[in-house]
Amino acid sequence: MDKPTSVNKNQRIEFLRKYGTVLGAMLIFTIFAVVSKNFFTLNNQLMLLRQMSMLTIIALGFTFVMGAGGFDMSIGNTAGLINIIFAMVLISTRNFWLALGAAIACGALVGLVNGTIVAYIGLPDFIATFAIGSIVYGLKMLITRGNPIFFPADIPKIASFIGQGYVGRIPFPVILMLFFVVLVIFVLTKTTLGRRIYAIGGNPVASLYAGINVKRYRLITFIISGISVAIAAVILTSRLGSAQPLAGEEFLLDAIAVCFLSTTMFGDGEPTGSGTFVGAFIISMMNNGLTMLNVPYYFQYITKGVVVIFAVVISVVLAKKLKLKL
Amino acid sequence: MLGEEVRKDTDLMLSTENVGKEFNGVWVLKDIHFQLKKGEIHALVGENGAGKSTFIKILSGVYKPSAGSVFLEGKPVDFHSVTDSEALGIRTVHQEVNLVPYFKVYENIFIGAERKKKIGGMAIVDSKRMKKEATKVIKDLGIDFDVSSPTLLLNASMKRIVEISKVLVHNPQIVIFDEPTTSLGEEERKNLLQIIKGLKERGLTIMYISHNLEEVMEIADRITVFRDGNQVGTMEKSEATTGKIISMMIGHDNYKHYCRVDKYYCEDVYLSIKNLTTDKLKAVNLNICKGEMVGIAGVVGAGKTEIAKAVFGLDKIESGSIEVMGKPYVPSPENAIRHKIALVPEERQAEGLVPNYCVSKNISLTYLKKYANRAGLINRVLEIETAQAYIDKMGIKCTGPLQTIKFLSGGNQQKAILSRWLNGDFDIGIFDEPTKGIDVKAKEDIYSFLEDLAEQGKAVVVLSSYLPELMSLCDRIIVVRDGRIIGEYTPQQPNAEEKIMHAMLGGGA
Repeated sequence: MDKPTSVNKNQRIEFLRKYGTVLGAMLIFTIFAVVSKNFFTLNNQLMLLRQMSMLTIIALGFTFVMGAGGFDMSIGNTAGLINIIFAMVLISTRNFWLALGAAIACGALVGLVNGTIVAYIGLPDFIATFAIGSIVYGLKMLITRGNPIFFPADIPKIASFIGQGYVGRIPFPVILMLFFVVLVIFVLTKTTLGRRIYAIGGNPVASLYAGINVKRYRLITFIISGISVAIAAVILTSRLGSAQPLAGEEFLLDAIAVCFLSTTMFGDGEPTGSGTFVGAFIISMMNNGLTMLNVPYYFQYITKGVVVIFAVVISVVLAKKLKLKL
Repeated sequence: MLGEEVRKDTDLMLSTENVGKEFNGVWVLKDIHFQLKKGEIHALVGENGAGKSTFIKILSGVYKPSAGSVFLEGKPVDFHSVTDSEALGIRTVHQEVNLVPYFKVYENIFIGAERKKKIGGMAIVDSKRMKKEATKVIKDLGIDFDVSSPTLLLNASMKRIVEISKVLVHNPQIVIFDEPTTSLGEEERKNLLQIIKGLKERGLTIMYISHNLEEVMEIADRITVFRDGNQVGTMEKSEATTGKIISMMIGHDNYKHYCRVDKYYCEDVYLSIKNLTTDKLKAVNLNICKGEMVGIAGVVGAGKTEIAKAVFGLDKIESGSIEVMGKPYVPSPENAIRHKIALVPEERQAEGLVPNYCVSKNISLTYLKKYANRAGLINRVLEIETAQAYIDKMGIKCTGPLQTIKFLSGGNQQKAILSRWLNGDFDIGIFDEPTKGIDVKAKEDIYSFLEDLAEQGKAVVVLSSYLPELMSLCDRIIVVRDGRIIGEYTPQQPNAEEKIMHAMLGGGA
């Protein structure tokens, strides 16, 4: 790599395609660090990691769906519903584990419904999950009339530790996030489940002919997505100390952005666990850095959109260049 | 024509001098001196990877040659894009059909070149004129057809005609046909060849690329053979024979025509299909035995693939039943694999490959569990080693188990798909058009591979619309037409080929 002449041009393009997004992220990071006094401090970096933990976990679930070639539009609204379910069960039973179980069951149920409609009934995933998202939105409004549910003072300690606690200086959600990142990378790259999911994303018909139960695996990806939303929603509710029916809605657009960024990195056009982690870092870093610079929130949306389009365009252009050469 | 020595150049429509193409330091095409005479049908043949496609892409402006030059009617031309070559009257009929299913036929024919008329200063689409012109173009091909029909309902051969019409409305001088008879049945193939001959009579110059040497011998005036990016030779049809072309293509003379001795006997019935009726099949009865090689012949759309699909649970069964080794069997892909049935589908790209996966991941896909422990953790080392063993055994040309499969040639992709099934020790193998679109050498390899399987005692079922293949491979040949089994033949019986052909085509009966 020292002598540029020895590097094949194709390899350079391939390198750019796989790591260009990471280099871009490093560039943005450096700019923030230089421009903002408060950005590159230990406290802010730990806060950034805590902020990104929920988005990362949701996007990791989305990675499964997108890896199998699907799409899940219901995640934002589902997060809100699970906030409420978690809080309601927690308050009425005072049992954190029961509440957690209810939240995960609720997420899995939404995933089951999504997956059944998409994989077994055969509706287009975009429309079906969008409609389910709408139903979920209606349900949570019906339950709460739009009002938040506040935790009373005597809830179990662990229920606030999940979102607010620290291990040493590290926020606990960050530890959870890292655990899930490692778990997902492992499952997607090393196990039959991951292999089959990407095979379905790569060619669903060939996967069917190869004996893979395509419907069942697609259903599984939606259930995983639902469960990951549940885990993120529990962290969110715990952190806020209250269940906000509308909290978590921004996860939808951010998770989509993260997974598209993820497809531009490392893999061959499919989202990967590590790519999703880096993508979530980029999106969260933009949110955090722009806030640090006192950029109004509406301008943050514009910037995020531009960055995502930029990243995807570059990776598509580079991929095309590679294909033509081969 | 040979007597006219004077002004040699004037009868040349297109020629190339020293044309070559290099990718990353590798010359995939070298020193091509190709001459296309006005009004001829010039066939270009060669194995996959011989450089045919690259050459066509240079002529049609997709690639710029890395060396040499292209001349059109004696004048050097420099194409920067497909638009440039099209402007000079060079058009290609591609191998794949590319039509908008919801468009009417004439709308597809004029796609991107809509005829317009002005009403009040506004240009609007002139459907009437397009219909008229499209009708004429199709009629000139000798076909009577309503151009307002929806494209969706056309059969494969009619779609092909629409593709050709799409090119003809531009009044091209040179038409390049890239494997135009792929996915057509015997009769449709013959019709298409007639149509192409008709184009020649109308003065068009034609380049014809095909794997099918019978076709080439039937249609071409001259034949050029490519091998490994070199032009091995160009000959008049009168001096060409199939054997000669093949030896030029593969570079040596050991072309072997497989012919099995009659050793058909039925001990154990492996697969038994009883009164099977689906959307496309009508009361099909079929027994497949241990160690035999059965051919199922039929034109495209006759129901061959549908039998395979029904066994694999991909088409809904309306009535009838299937038994495997004498036991009832409920069709589904998973169940088929559990019952040791393998299916190598016809559409390699659409139904066989995971294009972005490497060779090893494609090979392990079906029997992935063999490489994984109970928790589902894949033993990647074992997987790669096994893939390497198959690469060696099957002679798959690739850079290694980690090469992405989409970059392999068709024949090598097919060998990888076959390896995928070999992994699992199947008893009944169904091979749907196993040599479709692959080169001669790979075909030979696959034939001998299929024979080995039968030797080992597996039941081998080959579905094909290419009769010579079945004649040389199979112990018996079952003919399917319109979803019914209408006869069974052995290749040894007198006049078998004529009889089978007659049965396949219906022969007016």
